[in-house]
Amino acid sequence: MNRLLRRLSRTFLSQTRLVFGRSFFPLFAIAIIAGATLWGPWVSLAVTVLAVAAALRLL
Amino acid sequence: MSGEARGAPAVSSRWRILAHPQDWHCVAFHIACLTAYAFAFWLYQHPKLAGITGPWSRIAFVTASASMLGWISGIDVGVNFHNHSHRPIFTSRFFSRCFGRIWTFSGGWPSFFWEYCHVTIHHANLLTIDDWTLPKRNADGSFEDFRKYLFTHWPWRVMAHLWKDLTARQSLRRKALRELAIFLALWSIPFWIDPVMALCLWVLPHWIANAFVMNSGMYVQHTGCVPKSPTRPVSHSTVFVSNFFNLTMFNIGFHLEHHDHPRVHWSELPDLHQRLKQDLIDGGAHVVPYGLHHASFLLAGDDARKNRFAGQDSGYKKQ
Repeated sequence: MNRLLRRLSRTFLSQTRLVFGRSFFPLFAIAIIAGATLWGPWVSLAVTVLAVAAALRLL
Repeated sequence: MSGEARGAPAVSSRWRILAHPQDWHCVAFHIACLTAYAFAFWLYQHPKLAGITGPWSRIAFVTASASMLGWISGIDVGVNFHNHSHRPIFTSRFFSRCFGRIWTFSGGWPSFFWEYCHVTIHHANLLTIDDWTLPKRNADGSFEDFRKYLFTHWPWRVMAHLWKDLTARQSLRRKALRELAIFLALWSIPFWIDPVMALCLWVLPHWIANAFVMNSGMYVQHTGCVPKSPTRPVSHSTVFVSNFFNLTMFNIGFHLEHHDHPRVHWSELPDLHQRLKQDLIDGGAHVVPYGLHHASFLLAGDDARKNRFAGQDSGYKKQ
């Protein structure tokens, strides 16, 4: 029973990691756009510029 | 749905909705993209919530949002829908066709048009004179300037070629007109809400998605390559092996493997790559350790930067 639970939780965790990893960019975009309500549009713009620069350099 | 996709074998039992267990990641990605658009539209309509107090802060919000929306829409259509065009993600053809229509409209494309360009033109005629989806050639056979391709291909050249191709046959013409009408109905939705918002947070992101994400991707995947032949079997595409890039881009970096085996599911490309690795090394395939974004940065630069793109990943050099 314990082994089954461990296997299920491992599968669940690896699947969750995968789907979040694969949806990284749209989730990041949502954070930048919706985050403007918390920190304002200028911080969103600065983070966008940094993200694009980092992607062009590293990705 | 393309001929290739239509010919796909029945891949699962009757009760399953998705053709492959990991295809729900594609659906999640697209829903997240539409959610990002919804947030952007809503905040544009409620400026005080987003700290928009005047024209400059509105420009800041629009620049940040349009850049991010363009980036993710480019991936959503150019990579995510792209996989669907080769292997429909739903077991039902009807559902695949309908979902395809609400997939590509947020990237500025009717789904049938995108499939036609990619599967019927690009895959079937890779690097030949008939593959008009790729950059034009210089006299020495090399691709035209990177920036010229980015700014002239979509929508200008695409529209001219599609007009010529899709009006040539009556059956294609009828289908193209129907799909275009469905696309225009969906694509016009943001204009009904607010035309200025639609220009800033709909048309601008679609231009960014096509010019800077999809066009640059097409360029870097095949620049310096030659058509497949018995003597050069693995020189038609570049392979991008960055782990993070492939995790977040549905394994599109394994592009050579994808062109040689377009029916292999996107989640299985890393395994296929491992199996073919020695053949790639022996055949002299161009393999680089980064992804399409850095490759675009290199190819948009001076000769020194372009030469860095021509380098090979250290793990893929012939001994």
